[in-house]
Amino acid sequence: MATVSSRPARQLAMVFDLNKCLGCQSCSIACKTLWTDAPGMESMWWNIVNTMPGGGTPRDVFSHGGGYKNGEPVPGTFPPLREFGEAWGFDQEATFASGGKAAFRPLERDGSSPEWGPNWDEDMGGGQYPNSYFFYLQQICANCSKPACLEACPRTGLYRREEDGIILIDEERCHGYRFCAEACPYKRIYFNPGRAVAQKCIACYPRLEAGVAPACVRQCPGRVRHVDYMDNLEGHPYKLVHEWKVALPLRPDFGTEPNVFYVPPLAPPAFNEAGEFDETKPRIPDEYLREMFGPGVERALETIQVEREKSARGEPSELIDILIARDWNDLLGPFTANPAELDRPPRGG
Amino acid sequence: MTAGTLTSVTAERLGDASPQLLAPGGTQWAKVSETTVSLAPTPLDAQPSAYVQTSWAGRPYGALASVGLSAVVAGDALYLRLRWAAAEPRQAISDNDTYADACAVLFPLDGKTAELATMGDERSPVQGWHWRAGTALPFVITATGLGTVSRVPDHPVSVGAAWENGSWSVAFKRGLSEQGVPLTAGASVPLGIAVWSGANSERAGLKAHTPAWLTLTLPK
Ligand code: SF4
Ligand code: SF4
Repeated sequence: MATVSSRPARQLAMVFDLNKCLGCQSCSIACKTLWTDAPGMESMWWNIVNTMPGGGTPRDVFSHGGGYKNGEPVPGTFPPLREFGEAWGFDQEATFASGGKAAFRPLERDGSSPEWGPNWDEDMGGGQYPNSYFFYLQQICANCSKPACLEACPRTGLYRREEDGIILIDEERCHGYRFCAEACPYKRIYFNPGRAVAQKCIACYPRLEAGVAPACVRQCPGRVRHVDYMDNLEGHPYKLVHEWKVALPLRPDFGTEPNVFYVPPLAPPAFNEAGEFDETKPRIPDEYLREMFGPGVERALETIQVEREKSARGEPSELIDILIARDWNDLLGPFTANPAELDRPPRGG
Repeated sequence: MTAGTLTSVTAERLGDASPQLLAPGGTQWAKVSETTVSLAPTPLDAQPSAYVQTSWAGRPYGALASVGLSAVVAGDALYLRLRWAAAEPRQAISDNDTYADACAVLFPLDGKTAELATMGDERSPVQGWHWRAGTALPFVITATGLGTVSRVPDHPVSVGAAWENGSWSVAFKRGLSEQGVPLTAGASVPLGIAVWSGANSERAGLKAHTPAWLTLTLPK
């Protein structure tokens, strides 16, 4: 039975700073054009950014089971394509016939109107005005240390690379049974119907091997994404996760020990009825943040707040320096090679 | 035409010079006897995945009780036809959460002995011909234990399938002298059968199967 008890020799890790994301989806497009532009992959978004609180991608993303509870696998489901969002067409005929007055209407393959899609409820968020709030949540495969996907497959169709802990699907071994997609609690596995194989984020491993950062990291204009090996004690992931303890796993209750970590969103306090800040009331409910990022979230937010204030007073703060990343290359760990300058560049820019 | 439940089947020789036996509902098959073979669900505790065991606990699968088996040697090829009731056929994989109907026949790779319950082992592998609805070509697979199935890249097996009146008919063909499990006139080979119900999301080890080998005898 496929279980991975031991750790790989090295583990690649990433930190996404939720306080900096613009929601621009440059990361999603970088990934899409690089890896998922082939037939059968139309609806795949190995990287996707969703407005939270919100339904996510697929719809109600964290309610489909999978992962572990008390060490036991939790049954999961693999939502149908419509709940991820198919690659829509547009009703161009209708717009043309109206002399351009009718707006483009998106259409599913069967001609019906879509009821869900990637980042469907963009910028809707939660809370009541004037205390509304939202943040963008970036998701890729988290190359979990306890990968429910890998362990669910009855035929070792997935494997973990010893050199960096990246989980990959062996498309020669995959027979399209999709237990992995059911078992991933983050729903980060897609199905290619033409080839009848499961496919997912590959952490841009061919780029890593050439010293180039993953496309979603390199293309991010918000300097949101930090990447390095976790065993580099000077690397941003180690510092943010283990030293400063401000980067947290997403939904740690899923039990898969993901290796993508998030700097939680620090919102201003809530307004009181007089329209003034009430420092005692958080804008984003504590219990929501605890559900998303675990019990460490309050301490993490406090630390960020304290360090921000220090920085605002003109005092040095290692944490704020890391998060700002004034030199872009600092985000990239050892993967600072510029693909344009390589003799044999890997795919993508 | 239908005998009782048997564990031994003898292929009939069909003298027809131009066999149309890959049309599994065709008239030539009507002349061939059909044996009813009992099937049973595979044991859940043998599924090589804790996830599969947990998520299928208490959930029925492999409920198909029997399959009709017909065997013919025509020209220099063996034809095996499976026929089973499928009220809700799944003719293709149409979405993330849909699974196609499928069937397979299995042999010891050497044509003599292998463990059926484990799908072979390192010393005695098994070989199978696997059809999945919606695909034109069958897969030929070999295995040396549960969870080790791998597909043979080039193989001489072909398949024809039809769903009619609530039943699937699937016919496999392989030349007797072609590469793979030895098929020799006058000799016998152990044979196993498996059927997956797509409507019930059956795939991998979740299937109805013959718990023990049958014996298939080829005509002289
Ligand atoms: S995020 Fe999902 S697909 Fe990626 S390693 Fe974890 S369980 Fe597997
Ligand atoms: S590219 Fe960066 S800023 Fe833009 S959506 Fe992705 S993570 Fe956010």
